[in-house]
Amino acid sequence: MPFVPFCGKLTLDAMSARRVYLDNSATTPVDPRVAAAMTRALVENFGNASSVHGFGQQARAAVDRARREVAALIGARQNEIVFTSGGTEANNLAIRGLCETSVAHGRHIITSAIEHPSVAGLCLELEKRGWEVTRLPVYANGIIKLDDLAHALRADTVLITVMLANNEIGTIQPVSHIGSLVRERRAAGQRLWLHTDAVQAAGRLPLNVDELGCDLLTISAHKLYAPKGIGALYVRRGVRLHSQNVGGHQERERRAGTENVPGIVAFGEATRLAREEFSERASHDRKLRDRFEARARTQISDVVMNGDREQRLGHLSNISFRFIEGEGLLINLDLEGVAVSTGSACSSGTLEPSPVIRALGVDDELARGSIRFSFGKDNTEADVDYAVEVLSRAVERLRALSPLTLSHGLNG
Amino acid sequence: MAYSSVFKDHLAHPRNAGELPEANAIADEKNPVCGDRLRLSLIIQGDRIETARYLAYGCPPTLVCGSVLTELITGKTTAEANQLTRADLLKAIGGLPSRKHHAAALAIETLHSALS
Repeated sequence: MPFVPFCGKLTLDAMSARRVYLDNSATTPVDPRVAAAMTRALVENFGNASSVHGFGQQARAAVDRARREVAALIGARQNEIVFTSGGTEANNLAIRGLCETSVAHGRHIITSAIEHPSVAGLCLELEKRGWEVTRLPVYANGIIKLDDLAHALRADTVLITVMLANNEIGTIQPVSHIGSLVRERRAAGQRLWLHTDAVQAAGRLPLNVDELGCDLLTISAHKLYAPKGIGALYVRRGVRLHSQNVGGHQERERRAGTENVPGIVAFGEATRLAREEFSERASHDRKLRDRFEARARTQISDVVMNGDREQRLGHLSNISFRFIEGEGLLINLDLEGVAVSTGSACSSGTLEPSPVIRALGVDDELARGSIRFSFGKDNTEADVDYAVEVLSRAVERLRALSPLTLSHGLNG
Repeated sequence: MAYSSVFKDHLAHPRNAGELPEANAIADEKNPVCGDRLRLSLIIQGDRIETARYLAYGCPPTLVCGSVLTELITGKTTAEANQLTRADLLKAIGGLPSRKHHAAALAIETLHSALS
């Protein structure tokens, strides 16, 4: 009997007439082909990949196949891939693992002002333990300057960790140029390594670790139409890391713990599909994003597009809507079935405007009014048109309520 | 906790939104920490609140508190309106997560300010 995957189309809340998911940078729906591969692994390939018997060897072979696929996505060798529980763990292993083995050479790290909280949080933690951290500013376009990096480099700098593409505004950092700089310094005798968080970039940009010149690179499966709970760290051959999970020999002594075989198989299948369907997905997403931005600009006044217009991911749009606040807009959109996200949060009377948008040098009102729309392979032009229609209505409704529009004569 | 159906209804269909040019009591208060803002304009005839309008900027609970508050106070005497507390407003909304109670506090503060 042929295998029948249990996963069909997503079943969505019947209360809303229509549901449109535009939050693909937060997570992506699992591709039914990925779910099918994962289910086979769950049901038919339950062995422990460390076991010597046939069941174990069958699981080991599945893990090895997936490792080859993940390596192929980023132009790496398969023995340079360490599977982890996701992007955050991979970032922890990269940064803590490298710092702990490099402390004899220096205690200075360079990062950017707009890293994902997992990297930003690690840097804060290391500062508490006596490390010095230089955070490179981004400018109005959301991109660091290489001159700033060159000035920040010191003889005791051991790690540069700069994300490849930002999770809120999608701006792409000049990682390959940083890689060249790191190689020059290393040729001159400095013990300096480069890590890049490529969680948002994987599957969206062509990736090659040699072209980037990075030593460590983080990716996560659930941004690639695979489930949560699985990710990987690329570790260039020869780079020493202090393991953060000890008590087992798995992952070449770098990450102890029984392998998550179904998750790894799903990740392998998802990366294979991401590679094979790369061009088709990239042009599809970009077309939808551009359609969305063009229509939103035409139908809604007083919008500010955040981040560089060219050096950014093709599936993502970050827009600030003047006079209104992001959370209110998000919930208004959600009530009509459109799912998006905002980097700002207001809780316990304390405002936390998005640190990423603030880093662009914009005022609090714009930082509070920013919304991220991120498109994916399952979205359609009809989704985009519906989203713009709902967005336009919601913005108009909220502006009619806003005292900030009084002086602009918008609400009479 | 999830937002109540009353909350969602007021968010999607705000009541009494706007400004009253002929208002005889106005208050515009801002939460200095988070920047949320509520503006209330009232027409008081004798000692009774005949009409109430509001404008709000901020997180959804602030928008909803403004809308629900105007419904609560319309038709009440100023003495009755002055008795309204944060708890009364929270009850009318169907509750708010504790981290969002500041929205109800801002609304009551704006009301008292308008009536003072």
